[in-house]
Amino acid sequence: MVDTVQAPKSSVSTSSVWQLVKYIFLAFTLMLLLLTCLHFVTLGLGIGTESNAAVDFESNSITLNLGSEPPQLNSTRSTDMVSGQILGHVMEGLIRYGPNNEILPGIATSWDISELTGTFYLREDAYWSNGTPVTAHDFVFAWQTAVDPETKSQYAFILYPLKNAEAIKSEIMAVEELGATALNDYTLQVELEQPTPYFIKLLAFFTYLPINREFYESTEGRYGTNAEDLIYNGPFVISKWQHGSRLRLEKNHTYWNKDETRLDAIDFGYILSDPTATINLFATEKIVMAGLQAENIERALANGWPIKEHVDGSVFYLGFNHREERPTSNRNLRKAIQMVCDQEELVFKVLKTPGNRPGESIFPVWLKGVEGFFRDEYPAPKHERNIELAKQYLNNALNELGLSEPPRLMFLTGDSEFSTKHAEYYQNLLKQNLGIEVRIDQQIFQQRLEKMTSGDYDIVAAGWGPDYDDVLTFGDLFTSWNANNRGLFKNDELDQNVQIAQQSSDPRTRMEAMDRVQHILYEEAAIIVEYERGSSYVADDRVQGVTRRAVGTDPDFTRAYLVKPETE
Amino acid sequence: MTELSFKPTTVDSDIEQTSRPSLSYWQDAFVRLVANKRAIASLVVIVLLLIFAFIAPHVFWTIKHDVQNLDRTSEPPWINRKAMVLPDQDDWQDVHVAAANGEHQAPTALEVVGEPTTSRVRLKWDPVPNAFGYRIYRNIIEPTEDIPLGLSMGVNETGTHVSFEDRLAIRQKPYWYSVVALNEDGTEFEAAKTIYVRPQLAITVSEALELTKAENVQPGDTVSLFWHPLGTDYLGRDMLARLMKGAQVSLTIGIVAPLLFIVLGIIIGSVSGYFGGVVDAGLMRFTDFVIALPFLLFMILFKLLFVPSGDTENWMSKFQEFLGIEGGMLAMVVALVLLSWPGIARLVRGEVLKIREQGYVDASRLLGAPNSWLIGRHMIPNTMGVVLVSFTFAVPATIFTEAFLSFIGMGVVPPTPSWGSMCNDGIRTMEMYPHELLFPALFISITVLAFNLLGDGLRDALDARMRSRE
Repeated sequence: MVDTVQAPKSSVSTSSVWQLVKYIFLAFTLMLLLLTCLHFVTLGLGIGTESNAAVDFESNSITLNLGSEPPQLNSTRSTDMVSGQILGHVMEGLIRYGPNNEILPGIATSWDISELTGTFYLREDAYWSNGTPVTAHDFVFAWQTAVDPETKSQYAFILYPLKNAEAIKSEIMAVEELGATALNDYTLQVELEQPTPYFIKLLAFFTYLPINREFYESTEGRYGTNAEDLIYNGPFVISKWQHGSRLRLEKNHTYWNKDETRLDAIDFGYILSDPTATINLFATEKIVMAGLQAENIERALANGWPIKEHVDGSVFYLGFNHREERPTSNRNLRKAIQMVCDQEELVFKVLKTPGNRPGESIFPVWLKGVEGFFRDEYPAPKHERNIELAKQYLNNALNELGLSEPPRLMFLTGDSEFSTKHAEYYQNLLKQNLGIEVRIDQQIFQQRLEKMTSGDYDIVAAGWGPDYDDVLTFGDLFTSWNANNRGLFKNDELDQNVQIAQQSSDPRTRMEAMDRVQHILYEEAAIIVEYERGSSYVADDRVQGVTRRAVGTDPDFTRAYLVKPETE
Repeated sequence: MTELSFKPTTVDSDIEQTSRPSLSYWQDAFVRLVANKRAIASLVVIVLLLIFAFIAPHVFWTIKHDVQNLDRTSEPPWINRKAMVLPDQDDWQDVHVAAANGEHQAPTALEVVGEPTTSRVRLKWDPVPNAFGYRIYRNIIEPTEDIPLGLSMGVNETGTHVSFEDRLAIRQKPYWYSVVALNEDGTEFEAAKTIYVRPQLAITVSEALELTKAENVQPGDTVSLFWHPLGTDYLGRDMLARLMKGAQVSLTIGIVAPLLFIVLGIIIGSVSGYFGGVVDAGLMRFTDFVIALPFLLFMILFKLLFVPSGDTENWMSKFQEFLGIEGGMLAMVVALVLLSWPGIARLVRGEVLKIREQGYVDASRLLGAPNSWLIGRHMIPNTMGVVLVSFTFAVPATIFTEAFLSFIGMGVVPPTPSWGSMCNDGIRTMEMYPHELLFPALFISITVLAFNLLGDGLRDALDARMRSRE
């Protein structure tokens, strides 16, 4: 029989509409049911209830979010800010910073520092959390370990003011030659390579923290990887460290200054980097502090949360690749790019968060100069966008490079959403004004550092945070010998001026040399300073006494305390 | 019975005649498809989408997708576009006055200088006695006892500096500015003075001239700004233009990648099914191997390979320029093609195994047809039905994969937009500017639904076994 062709009746399609509606309805009902079930299941299992509320008056503790987990807490090898924050709470060096960034005695009660030597007198009531006293030998051991080439410490350079430190790091001398000796258990003598007027300010940095040799060796290489593989001499101890999810600090009862510690516990109950997730935690009173990004500010305002400001001290800039084979090694091309940049536009219309300051100089405004602030005494070079001039510079650059059209440039940047937006802004800026095509290369932090080191970029979005409270923490960044000068910028005059600042003990000579540095950087367009970062955050006002600072432990909860809200 | 009992019959042609014209397989399928209203509606939507993606940007909406306007970021379509014209040079001097006398804690008079606009809001106030500076706050709700003053916009370092210019991302909506006097140590006085400000949209004279093409525009005039029908994104780029460009990306990948992997699947599947034996076993084990490869991992690897980093003049970037597509898209197409063919290959192999046992194939072979003829003439055309159905389902799946990859940042490279990457941008500001998420999400949903419904209709039309059931 022949197949009979039956056209589907039109009623089929009308009924199918009903079918669709029914399916959608069913799907929604099922989803609702499932969500309700899941909600009760999690409640029943107690997931999410393990972490305390943001503020717990009963146990006198607070809960916080940690942006990322510290890779490890061996102070000789730490490099990141999160490790610095935790170490600042659980360890103490020779000195510490007070609430107003003043230098306070830490393990050292007093010290004499002359041009090339220093003697530190240590307190005898400082103990490690396992009961052994903190002695001068612990400092000598930690510093020797940090400069030992086998440790592969990335921050060994911060110990270079110590005599022979650099020679030890480059395997010319043995570690025992380091200019730090324990005269007895409680007297530490330091010899310096050259006069280093800012040496005392370095001592609060985490690479200078002490390590107990006996304990270090007993961990057989695991030192700093777990809560059990560390001993503490600071205001807190790590009582629990669940990798990837939680880090809990409790008050250290063997700490010499334990009366000043008023919280019993700080619970980093979450390790989350997503800003919106962090804000959600704050909104539901799970954590006491959360950073605000541009997209969350209006939400915070609409909720009436108290918003606070913090200048974290870092400077962000566009770094150029100065290697000869790169077009950006041409000064005119760099000047052309410099001339189209308008830092105010970037800060007010792209970043959109308050607190950021349009960048003018690699030296941020808070750095101290001779008497007042460095930037008040030595103003930054004046900059104004000038498209015409930029085009002239570009023409000169093209002639020198022998090109008929502008070169294509690689813009190396981070993988965050902000980085995309920021890079797209420059992509458009350079294309519209100079006809330069920019390709964006987004990489994770480690990969970015690697590409910067190997020179696989033209322009890089970079930032630098201060390690110690002196102009040199920014000033020596672009010297030919600095390993962080990854664009290989080389300028003899700049090198000489940095050497002057390193060796002179006269503040005026030092600051004048640094003033030259900021002008050279601008004139050569070695970098384009974009902005000085300021951040906004929301904080629970039941927690008081929290210190935010640009240099050192930030945020610092060591002196924080709880205030019960007044009941009406 | 005589001879008369018999007479030659006349040929009754009516009996032999079929009531309807005989239909081939494809004609039959077409009739059934046209009768399916849902499928036809979907087809119309798809054609419209293709016009939207490939014709509209050249004909109807020639705005460039990557032109930024930082003065008009994240604008919803329904925003007021009446802008005030400001002079090009519009600098303002800080106001310094002599220190004040009196008892008051907060500035007595706080006023806006000039017209408050989205490019700047200028404040001036009376000095407070004993103040060592002022802090200026901005809020989007009115500060009360329970609601703080809001966002700290800046600090004036002296008590005699009594003016402030705010330029930070001002929008056309109500603001409450507050000024608080500061003590020497930076702590704030108890009382604050608050003022309500509603800034107006503004552009400069030169911008207005360029925009209106008018001969003469005076400061103080009002001009109507260009309308963005779907609003703008976080860098002030036109959403409609970006959606069109995104549609190009999504539809190109959604159609090209399935076409390529289906061709690959047909070749491998038909060879495998037709020859059988060792060839079949070998190819099928290879197929199993490919199925086991993780897609996302390969996507990351291809992205590393195709998105040039550093060396800009290598062969890869030249190849991409030749093709006219960017690295992220190429990586997605390659990853999809290399890893998605096994499904089709297995389907085709199954069909071929069935068909090669049919009588007509034997007959053809007996007549001396070579293998290539048998595969090309008998096997592949007879698998076309299932292949076409798989294709229409592969398209929405691929569009979805593309959107997903771009959403997690593994897809297109900025500034090329894709619906997925636009969703990712929009989701961050979902609460404040919902249009940035809504429109791309809507486009993904409509496209995927249209292709799925068309696929449904095609399956019903092409699948012979379904016919008798209706």
